[in-house]
Amino acid sequence: MNKKLEKILPLVQKPARYTGGELNSVVKDKNSVDIRYAFCFPDSYEIGMSHLGIKILYSLVNARADAWCERVFAPWPDMEKRMRENGIPLFALESGDPLSAFDMIGFTVQYELCYTNILNMLDLAGLPLYAKDRTALTPLVVAGGPSVCNAEPFADFVDLCMPGEGEEVTNELIDLLKEHKKKGSTKAEFLREAAKIEGIYVPSLYDVTYNADGTVRAVTAKDGAPTTVKKRVVRDLDSVYYPDNLIVPFIEVVHDRVTHEIFRGCIRGCRFCQAGFLYRPIREKSPETISRQCEQLIKTTGYDEVSLSSLSSSDYTQLEPLLDKLLEWTIPQKVNIALPSLRVDNFRKDLIEKLTSVRRSGLTFAPEAGTQRMRDVINKNVTEEEIMETSRKAFEGGWTAVKLYFMLGLPTETDEDVMEIAALARRVVDVFYNLPERPKGKGVSVNCSASTFVPKPFTPFQWEPQLSQEGIAARQELLKVSNKSKKVQISFHEMHVSFLEAVFARGDRRLSKVIETAWRNGCKFDGWDEHFKFEVWMQAFEECGLAPEFYANRTRSYTEVLPWDHMDYGVSKQFLIRESEKAKQAKTTPHCRQQCAGCGADKINGGECDARRQNLVF
Amino acid sequence: MRDVRIWFSKSGAVKYVSHLDMFRLMTRAVRRADIPLWYTEGYNPHPYISFLQPLPLGVETCYEPLDIRIEGEIKNEEIKDRLNAVMPDGMHIVAVTQAFCKPAEAAYGEYKIVLDAQDIAADDIEKIIQDGALTVEKSAKVKGRKGTKTVDVSAAIHSYSVKTEGDTVVIEVTLPASPELTLNPLQFLESISNKYGTTLYPLSACRIRLLCADMTAFS
Ligand code: SF4
Repeated sequence: MNKKLEKILPLVQKPARYTGGELNSVVKDKNSVDIRYAFCFPDSYEIGMSHLGIKILYSLVNARADAWCERVFAPWPDMEKRMRENGIPLFALESGDPLSAFDMIGFTVQYELCYTNILNMLDLAGLPLYAKDRTALTPLVVAGGPSVCNAEPFADFVDLCMPGEGEEVTNELIDLLKEHKKKGSTKAEFLREAAKIEGIYVPSLYDVTYNADGTVRAVTAKDGAPTTVKKRVVRDLDSVYYPDNLIVPFIEVVHDRVTHEIFRGCIRGCRFCQAGFLYRPIREKSPETISRQCEQLIKTTGYDEVSLSSLSSSDYTQLEPLLDKLLEWTIPQKVNIALPSLRVDNFRKDLIEKLTSVRRSGLTFAPEAGTQRMRDVINKNVTEEEIMETSRKAFEGGWTAVKLYFMLGLPTETDEDVMEIAALARRVVDVFYNLPERPKGKGVSVNCSASTFVPKPFTPFQWEPQLSQEGIAARQELLKVSNKSKKVQISFHEMHVSFLEAVFARGDRRLSKVIETAWRNGCKFDGWDEHFKFEVWMQAFEECGLAPEFYANRTRSYTEVLPWDHMDYGVSKQFLIRESEKAKQAKTTPHCRQQCAGCGADKINGGECDARRQNLVF
Repeated sequence: MRDVRIWFSKSGAVKYVSHLDMFRLMTRAVRRADIPLWYTEGYNPHPYISFLQPLPLGVETCYEPLDIRIEGEIKNEEIKDRLNAVMPDGMHIVAVTQAFCKPAEAAYGEYKIVLDAQDIAADDIEKIIQDGALTVEKSAKVKGRKGTKTVDVSAAIHSYSVKTEGDTVVIEVTLPASPELTLNPLQFLESISNKYGTTLYPLSACRIRLLCADMTAFS
C-alpha cells in the first residue's frame, strides 16, 4: 500500500474495501506476466464480491502463468472524494497499480443502472470515456455480463463486448491480445481479428442508421465483422474450469458463503424474465461434481454455508441425490445448505425436512400476479391452490413470515388484476389462521413486494410498452387501498428506477450522450436509493434532445429493427413472437421437460439441451 | 474441553479489519485449520471464540489474545502450526498458551506510534504532553440526542517516551485499556493533533502488549 493511500484509509468508511490482501487473493510478479487484466465491478465492493461469476473468471485467468487478473470496485463516494483530492487514480486491489498500467480492463455489467459507474471508474482511472478517444491498443476496455445482450446504450464507451458465458472466450481473448501486443498491432488491427472470435462483439465495426421517426433503420457490419454476433455457451459444466478456492473478503459482503451454480438456463419460460431466456439452453452439472467442488471450496475458505444457486433450484433433476451427497459431509462439518429460488409448485415437505440444517430465514414466493388470467399471460404456471398449499406447508413447518413478490404494469393488466393481489395475500393470511396446529402465540406476517414490470430484450415482451409513470402510480395507489388486512404489508419498488431500466434495457446508441451528461451532472451509484437523482437524469434527456418515453413506453411492431437484432442469444425471434401472441390470448406454454417449445437455444449448443435429454418429469 | 489463548500479531491490510470482522475471520481460520472446536448444543450450534480487547481500525498489534474452546486432544504447538498454515497475509500466530489471566484483568495497553519527523518534532510532542489539558471528542448522548463531548484525557496517560529515530519520531506510550476506561492510540494522537493545530497521521501505530493493573504482562 502506498503512503498516499495509507493516509486516506483511516478517514473513510470500511477501509478494508480498498486494501486487498484477502485470503486466496492472487499476487504475482508483474514483470513475469504478459497480460495484466483489471477485472472491474461497477458497484460497491460488497456487491461485487458477492458475485460468483467474477470469482470464477478471476481464478480462471490467474490459473495462467502468463496473465495476472486483479480486482477493481467502484469506490464509495466518501473514498472517491478523498482519492480525487489526493490525486490517487483508480487502482487495482492486488497490486495497488493504477488502471492505466493494465493491458485489459474488463467490466462486468449486471444491470442497467451501473452505466454511470462505468464512466466514473474510467474517469477516476484518468482514461478517456469514449473508445474512439483511447487510441492505443492497451488498455483495452471490454465488457461482459447479462446487460451486454443490448450493449448499445454504452457501446461507444467500450472496445468490445463478450455476450454469453465467459469461461472460454476470456482465455481466447487474452491469447489474441498477447499476440497482437507482441506484434505491435494497432487497436483497429486487433479489433478486426477479435471480431472473428465467436462470442465477441466489437461495436465500432457496426454502423447504425436511424429512420426519421427515431427507430433504427439498419445495423451494418463492416471490415469483415459477422452480421450477427452469437453468444458463447459452455457445453459441459462438469468439465469446464472451476476454481478450487475463492477469495474470502475481510468485511461482510452480501453473499458471504460458498455459492454454487447447479445448472444454467431455466425450463420455465416466464415471459417477463430475461434471465430465463438469456441463459438457455439448459445445462446441468452432476451431483458428484457439485458435491466435490463444494467440499473443496469449504475446505479452502472456511465458510460454514453452501448456497445452491440457479434460476429455479427445484427444477434441478437430481436435487435429492445431490442433497444426500452433500449432507454426507456437511452434517459432520457443521455446514449449512441454503437453497434459494425454490418454486411454489414443488416446494415439498420432505424436501424441507432434508434441509433442517438450513437456517430458517423468511420464506419467499413469487406468484408475480394476483389472478390466474394474469399469471397465464406471463406464463407463470402456478395455480392459486398451489400457492395456498405451499403456504400451508410452510406454516406447518414453523414459518410465520412469508414474502410474496408481484409485478405491476404487466401487459394486459386490469384494475381487477391489481386488486386481486391484495385479496390473494389476504387468503394466505387466512390459511394461517385456519390451521388447527399453527405455531402457538404467534401472528403471521405476509409481506408483498410489488415491483414495476420492465420489458427486456430477448423476452416475448420485448415489444411491449412499459406502463406510463402516472399509470404505475395509480396502480400502486389502487393496490394500497385494496389491502384491508393488518397482517399484510405492501411495499413498492421505486418506479423511477424501473422507468430508467426500461429506457436503457431497450435503448440504442444515441443514449450514450445521455449517460455521459447525467454522469457529468453528478449521477452515479444509480442503483442505490440514496444516490439516485431522477431529476438530473430527466434533465440529461432534455439536454440531449431525447425522450425517455420513446424507449420505455412505446409499443414496437414485430417488423421494427430492434437495436439488439444483430445479437444472437440462441432464442429465435419467431419463438419470441409465438410466445408474445400466446400471451395476448392468455395461453400458457408447458415447461421444457413436458415439451420442448422450440426456442432455438439448443442450436447454439450443438443441438443439445439437457431439458430434452433428461426426460425426467418433475 | 478446554480453553486456549491464542496470541496473534496483525499488520498490513489486516489492520483495517474491524473487531466484528476479525471474529468471522478467526472463525473461518479455525475451521480451515480443522481444529477440533467445541460447539454449543442446540438447533444452531456455534463455537466459542472470544476477543479480549478491541483494537481501533488501522492499529497493528504484536501480541493480541483471543480465546477459543476446543474439544479433543490437540497440542498447543500443533494449534499454532495449523493456524499459521491457513492465515491470510499479515496475520500470524505468535503463541498458543493456557488462559492465565481473566479478561477483566487487562488494564493497560503499551503502544508504539511512529510519526513522520517532517510532520512534527519530538520536542513539540514532549512539550504538548507536558503542558497537559489534552482533549478528544467522544461521541456521547447530549440531552438524549447523539452528539459529542470534549473529554480531558491528560490524566489517563500512564507513561510515555518520545524520541527521534532517523526521519521518524517514535512515541512509546502506555494507555488505559480496561472495560471502564479506554484511550486508544489514535485518540491519543488526536489529542496531540488538537493542540498542535494540524492533523497528524501515524506512519504506524501498534499495540505491543496488554498489561494488568500491577503493570505485569497480561498472560
Ligand atoms: S431447446 Fe426446447 S427444451 Fe431447450 S430451452 Fe429451448 S424450448 Fe426448452
